[in-house]
Parts: sequence; C-alpha cells; structure tokens
Amino acid sequence: MNVERKIMPAWLLQDENYLPQSDIDTYINKSILSLLNILAKIRRQDGHKPCQFYGHPALKIAVTLLLITLLSLSKSFAFVIIINVCLLAVLSLLEAEVIIKILKLSLAASIFTFIILIPALLLGNYYTSIMLSSKVLATVMAVNILSHSTKWSDLTSALKTFRVPDIFILVLDITIKYIVLLGEFSLNMLYALKLRSVGLNKNKYHSISGIAGTMFIKSKEMAEEMYAAMECRGFTGEYKVHRKFKFTVADVLLLMITLGFVYIFVYLGRA
Amino acid sequence: MHIPDNYLSPSTCAVLATAMIPVWTTAIKKVKEEITSSKMPLLGIGAAFTFLIMMFNVPLPGGTTGHAVGGTLLAILLGPWAACISLTVALLIQALLFGDGGILAFGANCFNLAFVLPFTGYFIYQFIKERVTSERGEYIGMALGSYLGINVSALCAAIEFGLQPLLFKSAAGLPLYSPYPLAISIPSMVIPHILVAGFVEVVFTVAIVVFIKKASPGAIYAGPKHKIKPVYGLLAALICLSPLGLLASGTAWGEWSVEEIKDVVSGGQALGYVPPGMEQGFSFAAVLPDYTFHGLPDVAAYILSAVAGVAVLLIIFKILGLSKNKTGAYPDER
Repeated sequence: MNVERKIMPAWLLQDENYLPQSDIDTYINKSILSLLNILAKIRRQDGHKPCQFYGHPALKIAVTLLLITLLSLSKSFAFVIIINVCLLAVLSLLEAEVIIKILKLSLAASIFTFIILIPALLLGNYYTSIMLSSKVLATVMAVNILSHSTKWSDLTSALKTFRVPDIFILVLDITIKYIVLLGEFSLNMLYALKLRSVGLNKNKYHSISGIAGTMFIKSKEMAEEMYAAMECRGFTGEYKVHRKFKFTVADVLLLMITLGFVYIFVYLGRA
Repeated sequence: MHIPDNYLSPSTCAVLATAMIPVWTTAIKKVKEEITSSKMPLLGIGAAFTFLIMMFNVPLPGGTTGHAVGGTLLAILLGPWAACISLTVALLIQALLFGDGGILAFGANCFNLAFVLPFTGYFIYQFIKERVTSERGEYIGMALGSYLGINVSALCAAIEFGLQPLLFKSAAGLPLYSPYPLAISIPSMVIPHILVAGFVEVVFTVAIVVFIKKASPGAIYAGPKHKIKPVYGLLAALICLSPLGLLASGTAWGEWSVEEIKDVVSGGQALGYVPPGMEQGFSFAAVLPDYTFHGLPDVAAYILSAVAGVAVLLIIFKILGLSKNKTGAYPDER
C-alpha cells in the first residue's frame, strides 16, 4: 500500500466531479446507423446462398421490368390484385427473414402512398388512391424479390447482356465495392468524432464536412491505385461475359408464367 | 425526390428515358475525352461518394435531420458529364438494389437528379465564377448553383407529377396516375426545397469544397473555360418552357380560387364543397403575380416576363462583375 502511494501522483487520487455538458448529437448517431444499415445490406450479399430461383438473371430482370410495365399500364383492378397474389405466393417460398424485410418495405411504401393520396381521396378520387397504393405494393414487392433472390454481381453481368455500355458496368461494379470500403472508412471517422467529443463540442458541424471531404480525397487516391492494379492484371476496360445463355427448366417455367400474365393483362384489358 | 413507380404514366417515363439517351451517349463520349482512362474508376468512386453523402444526416432547425444529394458538389469536383454518369449509377443502385425510386421511373429520376441537377448547378457556378472573379464570387456561385440546382430539379419533378392528371384520365375523367395538378404539385414539391433541402445542399457543398481546397487543392475539376454558350442555351430553353405554367392556369384544372372550387366539375359532378386544406390557401400561388399584360396573348406575355426576368438577372451579375473587376478584364464571349 505504502509503495503504491509513492508511485501514484496526488492529483490522480483526488475525486473529480466532472459532469460533461449535454450536447445534441443525435444526427451523428443517425448517420452512423444509416451507414451501418447499408453496409450490413451489402455484406449480406457476400455471404449470399445460391438463390432459390435458379432463373437466368438477365431473364429475371426482363420479366420484372415487363411485370412493372404491365402493372403501370393496367387499368383493371383485378389484374393488379392477381399480380399481388402471385407475388405473395412467390414471396412465401423465400426465407422467413427475407419475407419480413420485403413485406415491411413494400407495406411501408404502399401505406406512404396512401397517406399522400388522402387529400385526393377527400376530393373523390377513390379509384386512383386505392389503385395506386396496390400498384405500389406489387411493384416494390417485385423489385425486392428480384434484389433478394439474385446476386448483385449476377445483376451487373446481366446488364452486359442488355448491351449496356462497358463504362456503366465498370462504374457500377466499382460503386458497389466502394460503397463498402468508403462506408467503413467514414464510419470509423464518425466513431472517432463521437468518441472525441466529450461534452459540448462546437466544432462538430465543421467535422462532418471534414469527414465527407476526407472521404473524397481518399477515394481519389484509391481510384488511382486501383486502376494501376487493374491495368497490371491486364484489364483493358472491356467486359466479356463468358457464360452462354442456356435455357433451364426454371427459365422455361418463368417464361410460361410471364406469358400467362400477359394473357391475363390482355384479357382483362378487353373486358 | 426519388419518384416511385406508378406515379408517372409509362409514356411519361418513356419520353424522359428517351430524352436521357442522347445525354448518356454524350456523357460517355465527353468523359472518354476529358478523363484519362487511369481516372475512370473515379467515376465509380464518385457514385459511391454521392450514395454515401445521402447517408450523412445534417441537423436542421426544429430538431429534425436532413440529407443532401450532392449533385452540384459532384459536378464541381468531377465535372458535369462525369457527375451525370456517377449519379446515374448511384440512382440505378438505389432503384435496383434498394428499392428507392422506381424502375420504370428510372429515366425520369435520372432526368431530374442526374441531368437537370448537376448541369444547372454547375453552369450557374461556372457563370458566376467567371463574372465575379474574386474568391467570394466562387463561393457565391457554389452556393447559388447548389441551391438553384436542387430547386430546379424539384421543380422538374413537380411538373412531371403535375402533368399526369392533365394528360392521363380514365374514361370517367378521373386521373390514372398522380392525381395532383400543377397548382398543388409545384408548391408542395418546391416549397420544402426552397425552405429546407436547398440550404442543406448549400451548406454541404460549400463546406466540403472549402475543406478539399484546403486539404488537397489539386483535386478539383478544372473544366474547359469559356463554357458560357450552354448557359445561354439553357436559359433560352427555360424561357421557351415557361408557358408550361400556363397549362396550370389556362385549363380549368388547377388554379381555382377558394370561391371557385365549389363549382369545379370533376368526374361529371360539381365538387360542392371547399376542401378544408385549400381554405387556408397556398400562399405560394398567391404570391406569384399573374404574368399577363393587356392586349397580349398569354403565351407571349409569359415568355416576355421570362425574358425580362432573365435580363434583369444578367444585368445584376454583369454589374457585380464590373465592380469586382475594374481592370476591364472581361470575358470576351457573350
């Protein structure tokens, strides 16, 4: 005990009553949370199990696009309901976790639409309000089923099948990867900002722009280094798809279902 | 400001997507000319950058938070064509992978956010920067550019929404898509942007550029100078488009006064009451003067007032430039 007393300086042994001033920093928490959310979403893609629907990604994109166009064009409420029910059936084949996520998203979008349309409802536009809300439900569900049942890297390769210019594919590819890299980078800076601002920190507003600015400078350096690395490995800026298009049973099934939808659309449109 | 699917008619989406095709082709060509291939990844990283900027929440008065889009910022940092490609990709990722913004409405969203926003912002910035050559001029340009950029883009979205009930009606005369006419869609889209989102964008743009200038001065895009002609083209196009406002007032839909709305015929029968929300009135519409002159057709009067407005603005900036720049080193092209 005596020995310790000698080593410890006196000021360390004093009790201190430091009460940090409270500060408004919810916006930092909010930024951190929204960044974490995005990162989690993208990371989930990495450990993605092969999807339950084995359709060709290009075909899946085309079918989703067609479905959304038909939905948007349709004036028949019955058609919209049929699509909604079919999408729910497809949804029921996915995992429970994914189902909850997709349902949450699409119901939120649909309810939001309905709230926006309440004034129109008061003006007497019952048809538009209900029709739009159910169309939004189906559309958001369709897109989310596509995004959850397909690997994102497959989606970019599908773009090549659609003859999207290489520059877009390159940019898209890099973007998805760098959202994660830069996101982690700025997340660390946000943590640092939060940890270091004890009590009232008036410079915090300033620091947020500093974080974004540093992110840009960092990304510029990363871009140059990455291109050098890519060139060293023989990248010329051209993308080639090696996989050949082969029709599988799933593709045929998907096509048949789609044709069925088109038939229903035409049939109900006539009536 | 991301337009979801089904709010716009498929034909509107198709028109706007077609309008984007020449923009995209030019952007690819320009970017290949301007940017060496070693800087190509910068576009992708730029897209990731804007994507993340939308994640940063900035505190707003009243306890809420908002986020910037960063379109003008990206145009200032990378150049407008590169910004166009980066924003397009960011929007594609949001639409396809995160369900934010519609798939069919992708063309429309690109038109508003990847074309109108960065180009308006950038050209206003460039225009003021060349007229007012002090450092302050540059910051004023940045602030005005980002403020007007996001507002013009919101106005475009509002016009797209507002045209839907005019153009697409069911057999019963009810709107098929977004039901609100221009008189409602414009104030409800533009007022929040004028009051809040515009300022968030300005604060973010200026603060980040100031930071980057201090930390790494070489990193900012130095575009080819004397890019003044496109600004005049843009102004001329806006002037020609200004009679669009007449669509709202010229047709019966939209600009009723509170007394009139009781008698408005919709779907074959008179409305018969005043919607409670309208009784307070949209102060925005009330503030706007009529833009009409006696003895002139409406369209002509509209274009005339647009020309007058632009001329007054040009004169103000020229005078501002003169007082800052007394040596007479005046940009020679006009």
